[in-house]
Amino acid sequence: MSTESETVLAIRSITKRFPGVTALDNVSLEVRKHEVVGLIGENGSGKSTLLKIISGVQQPDEGTVEVRGKKVSFASPAQALAHGIGMVYQEQSLVPALTVAENIFLGMPGTSRFGVYRWREMRERAAGELERLGLRMDPKAVVEEFSFAQRQMLEITRVMQLGQRSGHEPLVILDEPTSVLEQGEIDILFEQIRRLREQGSVIFVSHRLDEVLAVADRVYVLRDGHCVAETPTAQASTAHLLAQMVGREISDGHYSEDLQVPYDEGEPALRAEGLSTGPECRDVSFELRKGEVLGIAGVIGSGREDLCRALFGAVPVKQGRLWLGGRRVRFRSPAAAARAGIGYLPAERRIEGAVMGMSVAENMVLAAPSQVSRGPFLSRGHWLKEVERWCERLRIKTPSGATSIGLLSGGNQQKVVLAKWMLKQNLKVLILDHPARGLDIGAKQEVYRIIRELAQAGLGVILIADTLEEVISLSHTVLVMKDGVVQRRLDAPRGAKPEQVEIVEHMV
Amino acid sequence: MTPVTTEQQDPAAAQAARRRVPVPRIRNIAPLIALIVVAVLFASLNGRFLTVANARSLAAQGALLMVLATGATFVILLGSIDLSVEGVMGMTSMVVSLLIANTRNSISLGFLAVVIALAVGTLAGVINGLGLTLARIPSFMFTLGTWYAALGVATVLFGGNTATITSKGFLDLGAPWLGGFPPTVFVAVAVAVAGWAVLRYTKAGRYIRAIGSAEEVVALSGVPVRRYKILAFGIAGFTSALAGVMASAQVGNGNVNVGSGMVFTTIAAVVVGGTLLSGGRGGVLHTVVGVLLLTVLGDGMVLAGVSTYIQESVQGVIVVAAVAAAAWPQRSRLRIAK
Amino acid sequence: MNLTLPAGLAGNLRTALTPSRIMPTITLIVLILIVGGIQPQFFSAYSLQSLASAAGPLILLSCGEFAAILLGGTDLSIGAITALGTVLTAMWLGHTSSWLVIIAVLVIMAGMGAVNGAVNVVAQIPSFITTLGTMGLWTGVALVISGAQSIEVIDPAALSWLANYSGGVPNGFILALIAAVILGLAMRYLPGGHLGMYAVGWAESAAVMSGLRVAWIKITAFTLAGLFSGLAALVLVGQTSSGDPTSAASFLLPAIASVIVGGNAITGGAGSVYRAVIGACIITVVENGISVVGISAFTEQIIYGVVLIFAAGLTMDRSRVGVVK
Repeated sequence: MSTESETVLAIRSITKRFPGVTALDNVSLEVRKHEVVGLIGENGSGKSTLLKIISGVQQPDEGTVEVRGKKVSFASPAQALAHGIGMVYQEQSLVPALTVAENIFLGMPGTSRFGVYRWREMRERAAGELERLGLRMDPKAVVEEFSFAQRQMLEITRVMQLGQRSGHEPLVILDEPTSVLEQGEIDILFEQIRRLREQGSVIFVSHRLDEVLAVADRVYVLRDGHCVAETPTAQASTAHLLAQMVGREISDGHYSEDLQVPYDEGEPALRAEGLSTGPECRDVSFELRKGEVLGIAGVIGSGREDLCRALFGAVPVKQGRLWLGGRRVRFRSPAAAARAGIGYLPAERRIEGAVMGMSVAENMVLAAPSQVSRGPFLSRGHWLKEVERWCERLRIKTPSGATSIGLLSGGNQQKVVLAKWMLKQNLKVLILDHPARGLDIGAKQEVYRIIRELAQAGLGVILIADTLEEVISLSHTVLVMKDGVVQRRLDAPRGAKPEQVEIVEHMV
Repeated sequence: MTPVTTEQQDPAAAQAARRRVPVPRIRNIAPLIALIVVAVLFASLNGRFLTVANARSLAAQGALLMVLATGATFVILLGSIDLSVEGVMGMTSMVVSLLIANTRNSISLGFLAVVIALAVGTLAGVINGLGLTLARIPSFMFTLGTWYAALGVATVLFGGNTATITSKGFLDLGAPWLGGFPPTVFVAVAVAVAGWAVLRYTKAGRYIRAIGSAEEVVALSGVPVRRYKILAFGIAGFTSALAGVMASAQVGNGNVNVGSGMVFTTIAAVVVGGTLLSGGRGGVLHTVVGVLLLTVLGDGMVLAGVSTYIQESVQGVIVVAAVAAAAWPQRSRLRIAK
Repeated sequence: MNLTLPAGLAGNLRTALTPSRIMPTITLIVLILIVGGIQPQFFSAYSLQSLASAAGPLILLSCGEFAAILLGGTDLSIGAITALGTVLTAMWLGHTSSWLVIIAVLVIMAGMGAVNGAVNVVAQIPSFITTLGTMGLWTGVALVISGAQSIEVIDPAALSWLANYSGGVPNGFILALIAAVILGLAMRYLPGGHLGMYAVGWAESAAVMSGLRVAWIKITAFTLAGLFSGLAALVLVGQTSSGDPTSAASFLLPAIASVIVGGNAITGGAGSVYRAVIGACIITVVENGISVVGISAFTEQIIYGVVLIFAAGLTMDRSRVGVVK
């Protein structure tokens, strides 16, 4: 428990908007001296945006940020660091080829004389910094040799160092630091956090409720861009926090629930048994029937993305077996999976979904050019017709087939990518990775409607959705994954959908 | 119901990065072992291999390569490449042969000629660096251009008549000196030692290595990355110039083609020694092993009566094999190699 | 590159991104006029014919290199492969049927190209390294086979039809144009070209995740480069009645320059065979024009180097290149 109430960081009524979406709405938060503040919220709650604003990566549209009583505005992470605020990222910011000492002091003046490093002095200072966090690392060792956990501790040391240079006690932000750690390493991390608390303050973000409750003094809960709760952890209960994390009753309207029809209980379109790609996704088994929408719920690191990429042949399957339409399959590449009848709509549309430099028409036939060919040659007549047909069917708004796809709105781009797979005659399974991400409401509704129609037509659909609402409303069945394994399987028939809490409790 | 704001990172790559297992310190004794094996092999095949005379010959051959490869190491540690070596060598060979006592004109600047030649080469290197940092043109494309441009300058200087060097002091650089080894050998050793020291101990050297290892991190930490990239290319230009001067001393005249074939051999030496083309790993010590390996290989082949033409083929295969072997562990289905 | 909506293209399904093709064509015409203006003899039949003869091999090599650059890579070995091709052709002609020799050379050269592609794909190393290595490999082979000497063709009549004229136009040039047209049509109307190669060059991740067989596409591109190198070798032997292990290597830089000067981006994914051909014509005019106009031939290489850098800088699409190494 903090004994002083001096406020280090005060966020007052922060609002941040992006095109089509309000990420943070009137959020306020406080971090006091020598305190660990926990921050929880599911995907899309605004957690990452809030962290970006605090660490200086982004600026708020409204509201103020105060550091030690003074209003500040960070134009960059460097400025935040100048005030003592630093974030330890999930993707690490260390140089593997350099030594521990060099990494701690990278870019700082005063470390060299006439262009040559003061090696001994650097080593001693580095050892001192490490000591303060109870770490015993050889300052001369090259970072490349260290495990992820060790590197993370080094990063914390570096951030502490940078924060201290500002002359104040540092505020260290830890964003999901435990997702890839072993239990022993987690204990060491908690020990470090305790030391950090003695020398400054910490914001701790994790999807694992038990961890947050173990290490934080107070907890904030974010949901849909709002701060919905603030409790001292001594008085908090898991059930209460879970309830705060999930939203209101599923708002009806845009999910076209009336279109959800039960699927065929027949031969499964896709069956997996004991599928493993590595520690990130282990021992997954499921059956996907024709006409079924199988939603997979889970946070980042739960393994659902790895699972889907493995089904599409983009990631090697180390163990387990897969059957497509009753036939045993093993895909060595996405080309093989596509040939067999599996399609994939990637989350990163601009990088993996569509070729931005090509036209709508060209993108549309990428996966199945034979549909618009006569013999081995592309046939312009066929092609034009098909493009018109699909633009009409999916209500794609584009000036012409020759328009570069980059000029279309996100929603229309996504529909073109959907059309690309739908063009395939032999499509049996379609995997959708965050299909409605970044789309406005109207576009989302259309995408949902298309998903319903695909299922009705007998396709097997696997869905990774942005929010719990989406996954519950759209799916016939929900698999909940956490830390690489399937925790639970829930039925979600029309009219008898599970509560969000039922799912969240297995996710965190 | 708010959607997640799109991150530009590839989730798969981020996941993979989080899972990265510790890399054991690169012993890279493999090239060293290969060197020993090859040396033993040739020694047993041909009695002349282990003689002092052969050692002198080896050293003289290797000196040029050692100088070039040291400079190339700096550029390759950045993750870039310098293809302009041959052009710069030809250019500086012409410059030095025209400015020192020679048969074509009456200029005789003595040591100053060498200094000017070195400056010219360094300038070429700096231009390479600027092409990368300012014009943001990939180094292999830019240095391909400067390769030919420099060759062109050399050809223009050549003008159709050789300039045979008459300065004895200069020619002595290629003649036997201490222990029968010409001064060029000692220059090569000095360059290698200096290169090693700079990379190992100075901030600039460490930064060059860091840029190759994780450029964005270094840039975000406020380090002026551009400056160090230009420095690395400048060093490479300097060593190319030095090699051109040394070669002229050995040959006795200015020659546009004095560097012919060296671009391969240089890159091969660096890569075979264990420095990665992707940057950040390796160094001058690795390069020394690589140079020795290739020199011994070449010398042994000559002694065994193998045609010099085959050497070019062999080097080509070695380059590809070495790079492929180093890159093998990182192969993945989604990796993009252009 | 800016994304401008092409006017009145409802019904045209080409990539909207390719900037106007007019510029390179105009540049070529202007250059010809300038050179001819300074030296009217440039327009004489003889002069134009030798221009076209010189352009033939370069057009072929430019097309081959275009295939590699379209993918975002580079093929540094086309010169060496062509040189080896001339050596083999010169050696074999006259000993057996000409057609057999032609087919054998083309198959072998295409095979060498395939090797380039295969190593690039399997080992996942950059193509400029792969082809840097094979450049050395095949140069060495050519030197060994030929004994580092030019080889005279025993039967000069064998391929000399390539040095003849049809209606005043050199056959080598005609052959090059025909091959370029075939390649261009294939790129436009075959899905593997129009969709495959362009997608791999522009957005390889998207190509992979759309189920395209990227490995095959890459190998095919390099095989084409090898094939066109073989064609260039045949034309060269036809024109000179000899094979040489080193002279064709000097075609490498002009070939790359041709591709880029025509307006194809070195970053790949955009451009066309037409541009590669126009670029080759521009380079040929510049080369010949230099001597015609009276500039020293020695400056040629300097000009090449500078032109290459300049053109590369102009055509590259920086928005798609992350960190430039």
